[in-house]
Amino acid sequence: MKVVTGVIGNDIHVVANRLMDLSLNARGYEVFNLGVNTYLEEFFDAAVETGADILLISSLNGEAEGWGREVKLLKAKYKNLDNLVMMIGGNLTVGSGNAEDIVQRFKSYGFDLVCHQIDLNTGLDMLEDHMRQSSPALETTGA
Amino acid sequence: MSQLQEEREIILGNENVDAFDFDEVREFVRGADEQLFISHHFDTAEKMLVQPRGGFPTYEKQFALYEFFVDANVDVLPLTIDSNTRLNDYTTAKKMLRLSEANEIDMLNGYPLVNHGYRTTRKMMTHFNHPVSLRHGTPDARLLIEIAIASGIFEIEGGPITYLLPYSKNFPLDKAFLYWKYVERVCADYSTLNKPINRESFGPLTATLVPPSITIVIQLLEMLLSLEEGVKSFSVSFAQQGSMIQDIVTGTVTRKLADHYAKQIDCEDASIHLVYHQWMGAFPTNRDSADQLINMSTVIASMVGADKIITKTREEAVGIPTKEANAQTVANTQYTLNILGGLPAVVDEQEEEILTAEVKAIMEAVFNDPADTLWRKVFNSIKNGVIDVPFSPHIINHNKMITIRDAQKNIRIIDRGNVPIPDRCFEYEKSCCDLNKDTTSIVNDIIHDIGIMQ
Amino acid sequence: MSTENETDGSVLNGVGQLNGHSSEKPTDQSSSNSKLLVDIGSTYFKVSTAHSIEQHFRDFNKRILDDLMHKCGDTVQRFDAQDIHICSSANGGLSTLIIGLTHSYSLKYATNIAYNSGINVIDSILFQDIEEYSIPSDLIDVVIIVGGIDSNGGMFDDRLHAYLSKLNYSNVVYVGNAPDAATLSKSINQLVVLPNIIDDRLHIVEKHLKDYLTNLYQEDIEGKEDIKHLYEITGNQIYSTPFVVNKSLPHIHASFSVTDPFILLDIGGATTDVHYSKDLVSDNIVTEQEHDRIVFKKLGVFKSRQSLIFTAENNEYAYELLMHLKVTENIYKEHSEKATKILMQLAIFLVLCKMSHYRPAYVTLKLLSMNSIVFTGGITKVLTTADIEDVVAFFYRKIMNSDHKPVTVLDTQYDIWTIGAKEQATCQ
Repeated sequence: MKVVTGVIGNDIHVVANRLMDLSLNARGYEVFNLGVNTYLEEFFDAAVETGADILLISSLNGEAEGWGREVKLLKAKYKNLDNLVMMIGGNLTVGSGNAEDIVQRFKSYGFDLVCHQIDLNTGLDMLEDHMRQSSPALETTGA
Repeated sequence: MSQLQEEREIILGNENVDAFDFDEVREFVRGADEQLFISHHFDTAEKMLVQPRGGFPTYEKQFALYEFFVDANVDVLPLTIDSNTRLNDYTTAKKMLRLSEANEIDMLNGYPLVNHGYRTTRKMMTHFNHPVSLRHGTPDARLLIEIAIASGIFEIEGGPITYLLPYSKNFPLDKAFLYWKYVERVCADYSTLNKPINRESFGPLTATLVPPSITIVIQLLEMLLSLEEGVKSFSVSFAQQGSMIQDIVTGTVTRKLADHYAKQIDCEDASIHLVYHQWMGAFPTNRDSADQLINMSTVIASMVGADKIITKTREEAVGIPTKEANAQTVANTQYTLNILGGLPAVVDEQEEEILTAEVKAIMEAVFNDPADTLWRKVFNSIKNGVIDVPFSPHIINHNKMITIRDAQKNIRIIDRGNVPIPDRCFEYEKSCCDLNKDTTSIVNDIIHDIGIMQ
Repeated sequence: MSTENETDGSVLNGVGQLNGHSSEKPTDQSSSNSKLLVDIGSTYFKVSTAHSIEQHFRDFNKRILDDLMHKCGDTVQRFDAQDIHICSSANGGLSTLIIGLTHSYSLKYATNIAYNSGINVIDSILFQDIEEYSIPSDLIDVVIIVGGIDSNGGMFDDRLHAYLSKLNYSNVVYVGNAPDAATLSKSINQLVVLPNIIDDRLHIVEKHLKDYLTNLYQEDIEGKEDIKHLYEITGNQIYSTPFVVNKSLPHIHASFSVTDPFILLDIGGATTDVHYSKDLVSDNIVTEQEHDRIVFKKLGVFKSRQSLIFTAENNEYAYELLMHLKVTENIYKEHSEKATKILMQLAIFLVLCKMSHYRPAYVTLKLLSMNSIVFTGGITKVLTTADIEDVVAFFYRKIMNSDHKPVTVLDTQYDIWTIGAKEQATCQ
């Protein structure tokens, strides 16, 4: 399974990004890490070039509200990304907010999996569950 | 006119500089009080110099900060530069400075030196008559260091590698080498007029599980790049790593090899100093724990025998520290240094031997690169992963090396990537760690090892 | 500029150096200084010896060789074929059309390589939308097909073949993912397959495509009917001008007081070439050279005069600039020395606009960080430093809202081209 990952926007949280990279690798994914400061379009473009199954965007400084709305619009311009599993994790809003609401909102932006302030391993467990459910064949090969 | 002077005139012809007077600045440096030169203090002080961090946007706030520091018996004052200036965006810095002056709210995370200018800033520096260290993080610092030296700031931190790989994603590394060559040349030139200008490398790098071999190699290379341009006073540095013995060994090997390589290029007349940074990784949010950590750092710096220590504050985890908290650390650190006595001389020959072999192997690989100049050899070595800095955001960095802590909290290399760590050293590093776990557990260990002080 | 710098061995500082050479070795033609360098442009040609530089307007009723011999025959005949080095940018260079999968990777990387190889990009096509693009009627010298990392495949389908079948092209090269190479080389005639320009970390790999395009350009120059005849007078390979200029940029500091980051503008008769320091862009791309190149086709003051005027008429500041220069739009209809001068000033302004946030094209440069701006080509014979600085200052004030003033450097003696040509001559 191929995963494109990176940190979006004007953000320099390298440590979290690299740990994501290592964790995904440890779980058997083939990782394409775009690093910090990545633009939304670069994520989708990387998914196309690599033939990724999963796009996992990190956003750590609460900027996600700003660009979240653009996701659907931009993704609609791509003709081959319908099967791409979209996941977002990190600190999705500034200040506090109802976690339930935040998850719902980001799902409406087009994300299949939303992890707001959830630790790395729990998030990646959620991803594995999701992949198993959406593609049962995977269970035999394991991630 | 020399090529350097032509370039300097273009750089200083920038619209944000108010008529730079080369002759006047030379006269100022020539006649400057020796107290302003940290190189003078290194030569004469009988204690470890204490230097905090700090920079505020307005002249008044920076002045007030210095008053607090001086009251706390500071040895070296810092001037931390704001991030717009670091990116050469003087227009935004100017705007934000005006807003900060008008509204009492700090719109910048440091002192916009270029916008304040040297005529103004020099008044502050000569008023306090302490050595000042320029802390920035700028890949193209040509204009900044000109204004700094003209202001009476005679220590310049940074370097083409240490100020780029931890901070930038895509600034071209080859350009950074060329821009820093200018910095070295200007520092070397001014050094002939009075006491030498001191250059200091930024050893902490990403402050995240960087193994001592990589830290030392980069310190040595930046030192050589500086000395070969004529700089006569240089500080190598590193940050607290998490294990006392590893810090002591790192200090010993750094000093020995710095002398060794300086001699190789016939620069043994330059004086080399060792600087220790208190813990640069993630800090505890609990202020009392933070104080304990800071205090322990000071003790280790003494064991290491550093010439200067750069301090943190109890508010580190919260944000930009207040001047009160900042000054308190200075006072506390001076107190600890004062009461410490009877420190044992600790030596670990095996660790020293292993680390020396690693550093020499990497240095040799760099020197063996076929390029014709040292900077290009280093550039190529970073590009092809012979030098690999863990957790660097820069696209040129390989990010293949993986490190972890052993039971003693020493940083160990468990995947060397393309770095030519000799086999026997690599086997030793791995043998110190418990690697009989599944990979996810190892990643969890790494997460734990990064947050070790929290 | 230094005239006492003894390490500066090139023929660069005009008269000062010229005297030095002539007093030492007035007739020695076997030394490396005694080379004849010839640059053929779309409008002028230039002929340079160690002692002099002359430039002439081309006579389009004559073959280039005849024109050259007519105007500079005496000079040319004084040199052996082995000592004559020629480069050419006549005909505006080679053209390419790129078909790729995404803007951020395949198209961006191929475009960067093409420009740096001296090639003009006519169009770049996002493959998923290929059916929506119109087919250029001009002959395309080379089509580049690119996309996907090597562990990906099956990216291209019949739509590619349908498009290519309608396109008029001379060469086609594939630099995309490995699995698709086999299928495509069966279905596309004469397909040249080279290693992928995108590696497994999504980084650019320049070498193979760059070598291929550079060679193609050379072959094209050699094959051009007009240029071919020039081999009657030279024993050396004829190179493309952008290639030669790029060779000279690392050595530019030896001859000019130029401070990085800088741009070099070659506003020609047909096209405008820009070479820029890499740190003027914030691009996630690690390339080999310190300067990248971009070319604006149809932006020139002779052959491309009409499209230049068209661009100006669509720029809201151009009118203001004309007022500032104290002329009216009537100047577009004039064919005077004055008109040429104004058009050149307009060209400078329009090129700067194209590289700024105001009219973003392929790249947006951080123009406030630019320390020097170097001009080469015919423009240096027409405009003075003051003329140029006036326009540059206008641009910074109106578009950048700044008093920034990069230092203007005029390459009046064609030193930049000479250094590159000499560099190339020494390598041979």
